Amino acid sequence: MSASIEKLLESPRIWRGRNQTQRKAGLPSGYPELDRHLPGGGWPLKALTEILIEQYGIGELRLLMPALIRLSTEDVQLDYSEPGWIAWIAPPFQPYPPALQQCGIDLSRMLIVRPKDPGEILWSAEQALSSGTCAAVLFWAEQLDDQASRRLQLAAEKGHSWAIAFRPMAARTQPSAAALRLELHSSSDGTRVHILKSRGGRPTILNKLL
Amino acid sequence: MRRAWKSPVIARDAAPTPRAAQQALPFVEPAPLVEPLLLVPARVQRLWFCVWLPGLPLEASRSSDSAAAVIEEQQGIHRVLLADPKAQAAGVMAGQSANAALALLPTLQLEERSLPREQQTLEALATWLERFSSFVCIADRDVLLLEIAGSLRLFGGLRELRKEISKGLRQHGFDASLAIAPTPLGATWLARAGRRACIRDQQNLQSALRHLPIRSLNWPEGLCATLIGMGVTTIGDCLRLPREGFVRRFGAEHMLALDRALGLLPDPRNSWRAPERFCADHEMPEEQSDRERLINICYELLLSHEQFLLARQLGTQRLCFSFFHLKGPATELRLGCAQADRSAKRWLELLRIRFDQLVLPQPVIAIRLRSGVTQALRAESSRLNFHDSNEGQTRRYSITQLAERLIARIGEQSVHSVGLVAEHRPQHAWRVQSLFSDWASSTLTEVRRHWRRPLWMLPEPALLPAHSGYPLHQGGPIRLLDGPERLETGWWDEEGISRDYYTAVNPAGMRLWVFRNRRRPSSWYLHGYFG
Repeated sequence: MSASIEKLLESPRIWRGRNQTQRKAGLPSGYPELDRHLPGGGWPLKALTEILIEQYGIGELRLLMPALIRLSTEDVQLDYSEPGWIAWIAPPFQPYPPALQQCGIDLSRMLIVRPKDPGEILWSAEQALSSGTCAAVLFWAEQLDDQASRRLQLAAEKGHSWAIAFRPMAARTQPSAAALRLELHSSSDGTRVHILKSRGGRPTILNKLL
Repeated sequence: MRRAWKSPVIARDAAPTPRAAQQALPFVEPAPLVEPLLLVPARVQRLWFCVWLPGLPLEASRSSDSAAAVIEEQQGIHRVLLADPKAQAAGVMAGQSANAALALLPTLQLEERSLPREQQTLEALATWLERFSSFVCIADRDVLLLEIAGSLRLFGGLRELRKEISKGLRQHGFDASLAIAPTPLGATWLARAGRRACIRDQQNLQSALRHLPIRSLNWPEGLCATLIGMGVTTIGDCLRLPREGFVRRFGAEHMLALDRALGLLPDPRNSWRAPERFCADHEMPEEQSDRERLINICYELLLSHEQFLLARQLGTQRLCFSFFHLKGPATELRLGCAQADRSAKRWLELLRIRFDQLVLPQPVIAIRLRSGVTQALRAESSRLNFHDSNEGQTRRYSITQLAERLIARIGEQSVHSVGLVAEHRPQHAWRVQSLFSDWASSTLTEVRRHWRRPLWMLPEPALLPAHSGYPLHQGGPIRLLDGPERLETGWWDEEGISRDYYTAVNPAGMRLWVFRNRRRPSSWYLHGYFG
């Protein structure tokens, strides 16, 4: 295949079906069923992931925890000489340190930031992402417009960091530059994960994931 | 050019210029292994460099390009103390009344003499001179003394050193009279007499001083008049007088001064020490509200701050900018950083973040920069990096740099790390940790494996509504999955608890961490989500 076709096929606008080769390896999520549906076999690193939830506390942290533990204990990005930090920006409640330590998160590499207004949340997230110090940046933002999500996506690429935005369900109809958008629903028989958008993948609904 | 010392200007660092140091090297002769003279307690030969600034009142004043003169009130009349060359050309002379001077030159700018400003200027100059000698002394209102015997080798000899100093003084707009002698008073008198003398040996000192006129000694006017009336016009004449008679008539201190000048008596001096904290002002000719201009002025202040700290091998963690307005109190802006630093660029970065949010109620007329407590800064060698061209590498800030930026904008309380505390009560089992404290300390505490703890903790337990004794959450009954785990006591402080904790699930499938208070009233509370 000539180089120009190769280049053309790399364009994200061209969808080549399920059998396409994945270039970027993802970070295994710890849930094999989810990994199967994510391009790259895991969370997209160096990109923005958006998680939409009705209500905080329904299992969003459990979903991320295996990946965060990996980031916290080993050098996944290869270009870091030591594991990066995990930044929590404007969490709705207190991330409880004893529980995090039980899971295996390194508490000495946790940064908690509590900005006062929405603009500062996005600013802090951008700073943390582009600093190149944080392996993952979790932030809770009510407002995140298309332009802001694009900026954060670029910051994540620049800083080799994984950006995770938690947003209310109402944001579902808003456009977003995130590489991956998930929706979480909890019910009495488990949590359902709905992949709304996945760059290089397909929307899917996964029942009873958690 | 005659934009003289503003107080904050502390130009380059005090270290000798590398050029001068390199020049010194070829002339160094290998020292003999045993220095026999050292065994004899010999008197250390000192050499004093005197800088006399006759034009200091004029140089310290804010001068402009037009003709200027400094006036001083003498017996109720404002008289000209000093006039600059342009004014002198128009006929303005020292001693004239201010009105007479203005009549000669209507465009003359008159400036009241300000002794504090002269002192400030002198101190700034002393700070600058510290680069040439470790011993600088402010000897008089307009005299600075440097002990240079120890600096000669480093600067490549007397001639080079003298050239450096006089060049620097000229560059800063000072018209100084310089002299070098083995005694401080001798050097001062030679400088005051306007002799560009350079005397290295004690033996030559007396013959050099002999011919100095009495007036250059800065002795009281009445005394000088009496001596001159007696026909005593030079130091040599003074020395020829009988000592007892001289002491009886004119006082012992003048005899002592003569002895000190000749090196017959020791003349100890106090070294001037530059302040350890930086404080500098920048006054603007007119009010300024252009923020970019203000930032630039702040940057200039930061640069001189950097030079100040560099000369002392110090750094600081706190800075305070004050923006003065013509009316109303000054606006203050405090900056902090995690590690002691002096780099102007880094401080500027922090300043920019904060300055964007700063509300200036009025235009600014002056800016002051004060540094906080200084501390010794580890000398850092710049890293040798041969892989700079590797484009795959992203530039990494350190976490402290990131935290500094966040703190600068959001505030210190809102940016932190967390640590564990060995404590059974859930709300006390962790604490907020400063990012800049010892990070390693938190890893010592282990949480027991079998304890079930939620990832999300509510800041305060929330009371759950109950329906006939059963707790409800979001309108439905909760189902207890696990428990109870009984957590009790805390008698040593006021926050003792007695609770049974359960893991529960609500109808929507959310996993909750709830407890029942065992004390009256026994009710159910929600304390966390398993998230």
